[in-house]
Amino acid sequence: MAATNKISLTEEDLVRALKAQETIAIQALYDMYSAALLGVITRIVQHPEVSEDLLQETFIKIWNSGESYDSSKGRLFTWMMNVARNLAIDKLRSKDFRNASKNQDIENNVDFIDSQRKVSFNADTLGLKDMVNSLKPDFINVLELVYFKGYTQVEAAEELDLPLGTVKTRIRMAILELRKYFN
Amino acid sequence: MEEAKAYIESGKLELYVLGQLTAEEQLEVEEMAKRYPAVKEEINAIEIALEQYAMEHAIQPTSGLEQRIFAQISALSGTTGAAEPLPEKEALIVPLYPDHTGTVKTLRFALAACAVLLVVSVFSLYSAHSKLAIANDQIVALNQSKEKFAATVSFMKDENEDLQQIASMSADPTWTIVKLAGTKIAPEANMVVYWHKKGQHVMVDNTRMALPQNDESHQYQLWALVNGKPVDLGVFDAKAEPKKLLVAMKEIGTAQAFAVTLEKRGGSINPTMEKLVAMGGVSI
Repeated sequence: MAATNKISLTEEDLVRALKAQETIAIQALYDMYSAALLGVITRIVQHPEVSEDLLQETFIKIWNSGESYDSSKGRLFTWMMNVARNLAIDKLRSKDFRNASKNQDIENNVDFIDSQRKVSFNADTLGLKDMVNSLKPDFINVLELVYFKGYTQVEAAEELDLPLGTVKTRIRMAILELRKYFN
Repeated sequence: MEEAKAYIESGKLELYVLGQLTAEEQLEVEEMAKRYPAVKEEINAIEIALEQYAMEHAIQPTSGLEQRIFAQISALSGTTGAAEPLPEKEALIVPLYPDHTGTVKTLRFALAACAVLLVVSVFSLYSAHSKLAIANDQIVALNQSKEKFAATVSFMKDENEDLQQIASMSADPTWTIVKLAGTKIAPEANMVVYWHKKGQHVMVDNTRMALPQNDESHQYQLWALVNGKPVDLGVFDAKAEPKKLLVAMKEIGTAQAFAVTLEKRGGSINPTMEKLVAMGGVSI
């Protein structure tokens, strides 16, 4: 099993290896971040098989466009996350996907996936899910929509029937709460 | 410093990390981050928070996926740097400048095919058109012959009825058959008249008539001799192909003899005795 000897590199080494097109970079990125990226993709498209295809596409894109990553603009994970989210949203909004998944119940599907798959925890974040769930739901709901379901802030405002300014504020409050918990 | 603090509190940095800003707004945030280390730090803190948040919601991929991804990337990079040796795949060669010669060739072929198709279409259209004209002519011809047959059938029907009537009249004793013989101006002439005394019907039988054909300006006229006086019974034509086999004449209840004279078309009030063609007495 590949999972038995995971590779972990520092962010600088990772970025250097990725830009040099060394395959070890992809192996390290996969070991470190595949589960986190798949978590986000799966929550957007709500379809396990499609999610894994999208994760594959995400890694290919990361591999092919590694050169365009600029570390001065943000962390590598944020960049990868945006690659994954954009691919997932494109898929979600593509005609063939919409037709294929008309009958799926979106809300239940997340719980279904969570119950079917082993959600991986880092040792130091173990038990945090409960803590996050105890965050103010009004704040975290907005963040969930934007971060995990691929909504734009405008769409989130419409969905929750809130002014755009309130959505912005709540996203900030939610992230501040997260920072409090993770520190 | 105040500007940095206000910027941090605006909520823009969160949207920046979430990828929710326009390209223009992104540039603005990046400018601010360059200018104020506090902004840069804030962005980093937001990124780490969201990273941890994502880690917490991680879903482990199925085990085969790793192999699939590495295989594809090895194929892309053309090296086998993966931990497990993977079967080598040919790298996909994408030309820097797309080669259009193949497309042009295909298009030329398509154009030629279109031209051929057009010629074939025009020819079949023309051929279909002339076939249609022929078919139309045939329909007209068939209609004409159909009408001809219909006329023939109705004629034969009438003829058949007449023949049956002739047969029944010959067998029926209430009908008197009067045979008219030719006179000296027409010794070959002869004909038959059927007379129903009670019903006063008089019929001329075209099947048993041998009179010289009359011309356009003359007609034969049938007379009944009643107590020595001629009574007009109407005119008729002697033709090679008569339209009707039986011709009904005017009615008469008593007669000792029947005679036929040739008169001007339409008949005369009194018979022209010089033109008496045939005559026959009623035998009782």
